[in-house]
Amino acid sequence: MRKVTKAPKIKTNEGPPDKKVTVMCNVVDRPDATYPVTIKPYKLDLTQFGSKVRNMVTFRITNVSDKTLTPEMVAIADRYFKVDLPESIEPGESGEARLKLNESALDQEFEKSFTFELNDPVKSRFTVPVKRKLRPSIQQEISSDTQGGSSD
Amino acid sequence: MRKSITTIIIALSLLFLFSTVMAGPNLAIPEPSFDFGYVPQHAKISHVFWLHSTGDSTLVITKVTPG
Repeated sequence: MRKVTKAPKIKTNEGPPDKKVTVMCNVVDRPDATYPVTIKPYKLDLTQFGSKVRNMVTFRITNVSDKTLTPEMVAIADRYFKVDLPESIEPGESGEARLKLNESALDQEFEKSFTFELNDPVKSRFTVPVKRKLRPSIQQEISSDTQGGSSD
Repeated sequence: MRKSITTIIIALSLLFLFSTVMAGPNLAIPEPSFDFGYVPQHAKISHVFWLHSTGDSTLVITKVTPG
């Protein structure tokens, strides 16, 4: 795990000093072995492959600590999706969470994320990446391949 | 009487000077930092920062430098 901090500067016509925003995170090499929870899958992919609309995905949050945990959303790209988190997760138990795309996001490609915080002593935060790509329908590809071909 | 007129003039001058100094664009960032916590390697993540123009003239962002 390594701590990463970035602080881009914003120059305006206000003059110096430049303002800045700061983002920080702990990059984990083994996202399947985090504490006090593990998230499976730890990356959410809502790529649209066929004509059947993929607008929802579920994932599990497992409490690997010895205290009851309450996840609370702190930041979400709510223009694109909404997430229902379990109210609380007992020690050793898993809770199911659900991400649902907004109607307006169905025809969009994006890479966003959401962040939730736990009520453990250090207020651990976890950020889950969410990706959506639009792929042409496999059936459409097949039909376009066969169109124009000679038939026996 | 003359003393109070002088005091009023000084007060008005200071007020004018103060308003001149405060005039112009101003950028306020209510939450200038965000902690993502644990993030899987090679993930693309994002966060929205709100920038508020709180001055009395148009704020222009001229450059953003990655850091």
